[in-house]
Amino acid sequence: MAEICYENETMMIETTATVVKKATTTTRRRERSSSQAARRRRMEIRRFKFVSGEQEPVFVDGDLQRRRRRESTVAASTSTVFYETAKEVVVLCESLSSTVVALPDPEAYPKYGVASVCGRRREMEDAVAVHPFFSRHQTEYSSTGFHYCGVYDGHGCSHVAMKCRERLHELVREEFEADADWEKSMARSFTRMDMEVVALNADGAAKCRCELQRPDCDAVGSTAVVSVLTPEKIIVANCGDSRAVLCRNGKAIALSSDHKPDRPDELDRIQAAGGRVIYWDGPRVLGVLAMSRAIGDNYLKPYVISRPEVTVTDRANGDDFLILASDGLWDVVSNETACSVVRMCLRGKVNGQVSSSPEREMTGVGAGNVVVGGGDLPDKACEEASLLLTRLALARQSSDNVSVVVVDLRRDT
Amino acid sequence: MESSKQKRCRSSVVETIEAPLPLVWSILRSFDKPQAYQRFVKSCTMRSGGGGGKGGEGKGSVRDVTLVSGFPADFSTERLEELDDESHVMVVSIIGGNHRLVNYKSKTKVVASPEDMAKKTVVVESYVVDVPEGTSEEDTIFFVDNIIRYNLTSLAKLTKKMMK
Repeated sequence: MAEICYENETMMIETTATVVKKATTTTRRRERSSSQAARRRRMEIRRFKFVSGEQEPVFVDGDLQRRRRRESTVAASTSTVFYETAKEVVVLCESLSSTVVALPDPEAYPKYGVASVCGRRREMEDAVAVHPFFSRHQTEYSSTGFHYCGVYDGHGCSHVAMKCRERLHELVREEFEADADWEKSMARSFTRMDMEVVALNADGAAKCRCELQRPDCDAVGSTAVVSVLTPEKIIVANCGDSRAVLCRNGKAIALSSDHKPDRPDELDRIQAAGGRVIYWDGPRVLGVLAMSRAIGDNYLKPYVISRPEVTVTDRANGDDFLILASDGLWDVVSNETACSVVRMCLRGKVNGQVSSSPEREMTGVGAGNVVVGGGDLPDKACEEASLLLTRLALARQSSDNVSVVVVDLRRDT
Repeated sequence: MESSKQKRCRSSVVETIEAPLPLVWSILRSFDKPQAYQRFVKSCTMRSGGGGGKGGEGKGSVRDVTLVSGFPADFSTERLEELDDESHVMVVSIIGGNHRLVNYKSKTKVVASPEDMAKKTVVVESYVVDVPEGTSEEDTIFFVDNIIRYNLTSLAKLTKKMMK
């Protein structure tokens, strides 16, 4: 067992590589990924070609068998997608040889989609991270994976959100491996993330535009709504006003609670710390920040804290999907409406309505920068669902960046 | 007439900075570069330069300021009413923008600190502004004082860094 684990780790290290490319369509990104993969070992070539060759729509009759087969093969490869900017995608690929690790149950492989738009905001300050199998729990006969997704809505500048995208999942994994208590490990990882960005802000070492102008970046921060999916549970940790919503048996269930300064318990906490909430274009801490918790924002501590609120929900047969999104969506779309939209997509009722050239279609509503896709192994229906939600938010005059992750939780598809 | 019906409020913020007056004044007086020390300013573009003084620094100059995201405003248009390098006084009015500070006018005066005239500087920023509808005078003063204090704290950090 120890030997297997050692080999596994070595293999992961050896085969990890970062591929940077620009992509605006799923097909193009798949092709490029396949091309990149071709430069690695033969086994990988076969696997990626198989994936990129998959052309049939998800819900066509007879596709289920092909889909199942594809998933079995695909399960041997994992990919992680980072959104650097709306036009640039960073793909981190890991390949695992089947001779080293037992393949995960194909049905355990997450089906997800991501969409992120700049909207009317001048710059993209959101970041999204999706890490299938970011933490593995292996036994002699099987391997189960925990899957991670996070949405980070930055303010003041983008570098805190970008740093969360790069680091937070690593901290969560480290803390959970150290102590398998979700409440504690999430709290510790968020605290560590906050400490890292506070140090970065204070040193002016963030190396982005704002650093050129001033000696510190104290007014930069980010929300963080994070979900870890295990075979048995859905864990959500939230800090700020992004949100996680579960759709179960067709009904919307909020798995996080927004940290607004006028939430009674948050208002009490802020005042007890000597701060004030002033209504200036809505409730704001010291009249400045519209959320009561965030990663970063050095100048507003101790009123604005980084401690997450954690929920642990047992998975159930009636679970449909999970949505993680920034407030650019939730400010203009209710939980119930978002669930209705996604259900339509996942049931195949919206196929064909979402343009194959989403960028062109989106131009009319001011979304000049659209990134669609959840990585090398996106689920088409989930992608369409997340894209549709961003379009809906823009149509309803959302003035913010909008980022959405949709994860299909059904087990019988 | 409408203006006279609006309630107004005024306040002053005083900050002592551990830096010589010429250094502090050189940063404060740069009307075209508020982002050097103003915490919530992302960038600044000069709209027009006044007739006198250097380009963009004369009386009547107007700047368009872009503010950082997350702040309760996106942009502000400001005019330089007065800039006196002898008495170290600067007067700025806000003449537009999508914020709630209407009829805002501030006067910033810089003097050498009596404690240590060569190494310490006292900055006094006084302002007058309309109290926005739906907001109390107390909250308005708290908010604006807070912004000014953050800016002057940032100025103190900047001058400290420049003296290293």
